[in-house]
Amino acid sequence: MKKLNTFKLPFLLIASVMLLVGCTEPHILERISLATLIGYDLTGEDELTTTAVMRQINPDLESKTLIQSTTSSTSKGGRKKIELATSKEITTGQLRVVLFGEELAKYGLDYRLRTIMMSSEISNAIYLAMVEGDLKSFLESDYKDIPNLGQHIFQLIEHNIEQQNAVSSTVHEISRDDFSRVASYALPILKKEKDDIKISGIALFHKGKIVGTLSAKDAFYIQMVRDNSDNGTMELNLPITTLGDHSLSSSKYLSVALDSIRSKRRITVVDQTLPEFNLTIHLDCRLYEIISNVNIDEAEIIQKLEKEINKKLESEIKRVIQYSQEVNSDIFRFGEYYEAQVRNANMDVEKWSEMYPEMKVNVTVKAKILRDGVFQ
Amino acid sequence: MFFRKKRNKASLKKTLEQSPPPSQNEIDAEQSQPSTSKSHKDDITTKDLSKGPANNSTARKDDPETISSSTEIFVKDIKKRIHSPADLVIRYVSDTITILYIDNLIKEDILNEKILPNLQNMNEETPMRIQKLLPLPRVTVFDRMNEVIETMLTGAVIIHVAGHNLTTLVIIPAREARSLTSPENESQVIGSQVGFNESLSTNVSLIRRYILNPNLVNEKIKVGKQTNTSLALLYIDGVASEQNINTVRQRLNSLDVRDIIDSAEIAELIDDSSLSLFPQILLTERPDRFCDDLLSGKVGILVDGSSMGILCPYTFIEFFQSREDKNLRWPIATFVRLLRFLAIFISAFFTPLYVATLTFHYEVIPQPLLIPLSESRAKVPFPPILEALFLELIIELLREAGARLPTKIGQTIGIVGGIVLGTAAVDAGITSNILIIIVALCALSAFTTPNYMMGNTVRVLRFPIIILAGFWGYYGIMFAFCMLLIHLLRQSSLGAPYMSPFYPLRLKSLADSIVRLPYPFIIRKSPNARVEDPELSTMQASLKDQKKVKE
Amino acid sequence: MKKALQVNPTQMFNAPLLLFIICAAQIGVGVHGFQSFIYEHAKKDAWISIIISFLAAHIIVFIIFKILQLYDSNDIYGINLDLFGKYFGNFVNLALITYCGLAYFVIIKNYREVINTWVFPDLSPAFITAILLIIVIYAFTGGLRVIIGICFFSFFLSLFIPIILLFPIEYSRINYLLPILDSDFISILKGAYYMTFTIVGFEIIGTLYPFVKEKKKAQKYVHFALFLTLMFYLFIMFITSTFFSGEQLERTIWATLSLLSIIRLPFLERVEIITICFWMIIILPNLCLYAWSAYRGFIRIIDITEKKFILIFSLLIFIAAFPLQTRIQIEKFNNFFGSVAFYLIFVYPLFLYFIALIKKKMFRKKGGKG
Repeated sequence: MKKLNTFKLPFLLIASVMLLVGCTEPHILERISLATLIGYDLTGEDELTTTAVMRQINPDLESKTLIQSTTSSTSKGGRKKIELATSKEITTGQLRVVLFGEELAKYGLDYRLRTIMMSSEISNAIYLAMVEGDLKSFLESDYKDIPNLGQHIFQLIEHNIEQQNAVSSTVHEISRDDFSRVASYALPILKKEKDDIKISGIALFHKGKIVGTLSAKDAFYIQMVRDNSDNGTMELNLPITTLGDHSLSSSKYLSVALDSIRSKRRITVVDQTLPEFNLTIHLDCRLYEIISNVNIDEAEIIQKLEKEINKKLESEIKRVIQYSQEVNSDIFRFGEYYEAQVRNANMDVEKWSEMYPEMKVNVTVKAKILRDGVFQ
Repeated sequence: MFFRKKRNKASLKKTLEQSPPPSQNEIDAEQSQPSTSKSHKDDITTKDLSKGPANNSTARKDDPETISSSTEIFVKDIKKRIHSPADLVIRYVSDTITILYIDNLIKEDILNEKILPNLQNMNEETPMRIQKLLPLPRVTVFDRMNEVIETMLTGAVIIHVAGHNLTTLVIIPAREARSLTSPENESQVIGSQVGFNESLSTNVSLIRRYILNPNLVNEKIKVGKQTNTSLALLYIDGVASEQNINTVRQRLNSLDVRDIIDSAEIAELIDDSSLSLFPQILLTERPDRFCDDLLSGKVGILVDGSSMGILCPYTFIEFFQSREDKNLRWPIATFVRLLRFLAIFISAFFTPLYVATLTFHYEVIPQPLLIPLSESRAKVPFPPILEALFLELIIELLREAGARLPTKIGQTIGIVGGIVLGTAAVDAGITSNILIIIVALCALSAFTTPNYMMGNTVRVLRFPIIILAGFWGYYGIMFAFCMLLIHLLRQSSLGAPYMSPFYPLRLKSLADSIVRLPYPFIIRKSPNARVEDPELSTMQASLKDQKKVKE
Repeated sequence: MKKALQVNPTQMFNAPLLLFIICAAQIGVGVHGFQSFIYEHAKKDAWISIIISFLAAHIIVFIIFKILQLYDSNDIYGINLDLFGKYFGNFVNLALITYCGLAYFVIIKNYREVINTWVFPDLSPAFITAILLIIVIYAFTGGLRVIIGICFFSFFLSLFIPIILLFPIEYSRINYLLPILDSDFISILKGAYYMTFTIVGFEIIGTLYPFVKEKKKAQKYVHFALFLTLMFYLFIMFITSTFFSGEQLERTIWATLSLLSIIRLPFLERVEIITICFWMIIILPNLCLYAWSAYRGFIRIIDITEKKFILIFSLLIFIAAFPLQTRIQIEKFNNFFGSVAFYLIFVYPLFLYFIALIKKKMFRKKGGKG
């Protein structure tokens, strides 16, 4: 026992000295303001406007959001300036969304992305989005029904990505496409509409700069080409002649709503030089709504319907791909398929930028209506 | 056995031959007398009178005084030796015969009915003749003063015959003992409801009632220079390993202490590492658990005057098992066991995790939790570490107050203190209500440990971890965790690894200690008992017979 | 030949435990960011590099066992002394001890860097180092039994890591692995070379061998352990390669941690912060085993007690830790250590085996004549 004591004494001594030396700065939850949303925009030449939406907790047991904005050339500098105007330390560990203004998107997002990637404090899973119009006024306007702007926008984006109404835009995915020499990324566009915020479209980027936009409706087509989906919903306007003359309504289209869509896509390179791709999408779905009084019991009618859906989808997808080719933004990652299937492709940014607009895609959609509702 | 740690503590002060295990008959004879307990060497001394005290370190060897043949000198001697206490009774039965005893230490009715009439009717008395004539089982003759006194103090009547250098002692001790009650600290719902009391003989008889087996060995050892406390070393021959028995015997014999009052002291003294926070030896007040462990190959010690039995070797995991597990159906018992393991972690790490997360790692809190957490903390003026320590302190104070006060008042204090202090603390904005839930949960978890000693350890463990968490967040918690793990790995119980059956891995025992296996698969032997006889190591045999009957 | 090393039978351990020891020794700080180094060279075929490096490790283990079996019960230090004589043998031993010290140092430095970057930017590096040293001192003084116990628990406690690594599969794109064998063979070998830093740890068998109870079974378990770690690293490499796109992975310093940061559990976010702190128990076996291995060699040169040795050793490491502070320095040091490890672990045993065989033949001839 004596032996133990002689050994433990220096041991304890070191431990207690360490206790004095190793102090670190705490971030006590209620004594910091948590930035939940940060927006970057460009004003003037090189001035960066940083707007932060922060949650602060005050002793009256209510959390309030605070919006501060400032201009400087780096984002950390912006943060430092905002700090001058807040009573608590600003932390970004709970950051959920980063928004970019339209001006900045035109100028280029590369540096901002790199800053976000470099920070170990910021998670890889936060969402990025673009704002239509001026960012500062977008954030600083008074939304009556939205108590917590940061959280609201986060949930808005998150649930729409889950429902496949918007393209997924986590920092990780965006930077992955950014660094992959052969792909471009797309961001959802947010827009203020009266007292509400909505996702109004999809911004297509090329080399970090915005080159074009698509409407929010097209998100599902993009998702279908990009990934296998397992829970999508869509509405299609088929030609009125699809089901023969049975239609009595006076509308120009036969509207069909499909849900529980499971799609599987396959992309293969057919011709390496052109390049030419075959895109096949298998689609299982449920017929949810049809604005027609046709009895959809018969197999023939279902087949007709499926055929028209295929046609319609093919044309829509072709349209979207064509648009992306026009603006030269490979948001579908055809380049990656090319690299994966062509040995020694040795792709680089320039080469693929040249090839992409020339690319040919043969789209085939094979839709299958598995079931409809409980009433025929 | 995979690594044998060197035993450096149980240094061999005495060799084994000096305390030979007494034969079986002798012990059983002792047991037949219901209330005798302290008779350690009467039989030996009658056989070998010339030999001095052999087996007791407390006997003073420097005292060669022989017994005086003169009555007056003898009485004087006795009085001088024991400082003429007020309760010493001296009675001159006849011209030559004198009897001396201490009042209330012997059975008065036996003295009156059996001894006195016989002595009065006697003629030509010599101590040897008295020994033969008295119709009592435990009558001995001594020729040494110190032996006489020692025996008298355990409850004997001295019969001195003038003109002889010898005295006869009739051992008829009257011991007051509490009646058997249910164990308060280790209560269980299903199973026997009897606990040990403070009398060694009653406790041994309780064990004999559970294990009617001639192989149950009961050895006597005396410890304590001042108190001369008797211990009973119990084990089942053939089941308990020879090595373990020897280790325990050596450690007990080499104990060099002045006084022992309770078995807990012995347990700490013969522990492998007395400095450790963790008990390595079990204390139980349940005879059924005691017997169960004896049957599984452990060595037990009972101490006179203590209602707690000692069992060793024990492993860490066995402290979290209860005897009741075997009485419940196996899936339920398994569930309860897993719950207890979970409770260790909750108890030790939940509050520290709260402190660390709120002080340093706010990033890990998911958004839905963020608002309730921060709002409950909003009014609290202290950093989480102080808040947590403050609440933990309240809980500890309540527990300690409840334990010290009489049961009824204790309960009231617990309820009133808990509710009033808790509500008031939240209202006053000193603590957050989420922390109150966490602290209460931790306290509750610590109390699920079936063993009181281990429960204390589990509870106290939390405090250093909270402090580490408050200074260095998860890094501090990990530091504590690593140190704890290493500490547990360093421990041993009777030289056997403490973390067995996890490490060294013994798959069969491991399954039996995490899951309460159904009876056909139960392994009787405990992980470190090293039972040699394979037949004794399972419970299988009895069940197989039953199945045959059914068919 | 020299007489066999005397090992107290109570210090011996069962052969199956080698499985946990070797696994725990191999998995360490390397896991945090080994992917980018390999990817830099082998690109999409990084996983082939890993397999090649493990094949090499299997061969080396085979040879180490061949050497050890030439001697009845002796460790690598004793064999060096026997083959090269007292002076040169001790010199070689000193090199091996220095290697152990370097490995120990590299582990501490890298872990410290991760903690400073991800969890506590302003926690004093000296403090982080000191905490680790204290834990190792406490474990080390418990003896080999405790060290092996830590290996054992470390192995089982870290089993949750492959499970949480399943979450990022949601984001994986198989295209990043195709086409197979796109890189040329030289690049793949280069990638395998850069695995050295991550793969080392199995060489500990050279010191542990005399302590194994069933010596015949030992080799089987070591190979099996190597196979398990191969599976672990391959699994991580597959997940990482499909999760990151090319240049992104090359630029990510700690790919595994970035990978974890995307996980969002209902009760927990930012799993990587907890994982980093938890990593302490994963590097602990490495530290203990290297310190122990250094000790086994050191007592051949100077007779010293365990406690004195570990205190001096820790003090040296603590002082040596001060000059290296920046990331670039640490990375340079890692590369330096990688090359040292390559020559000592992958080249030296081949040489040693050769010498041992020659010596044995000569010895036999002499013996025949005499």
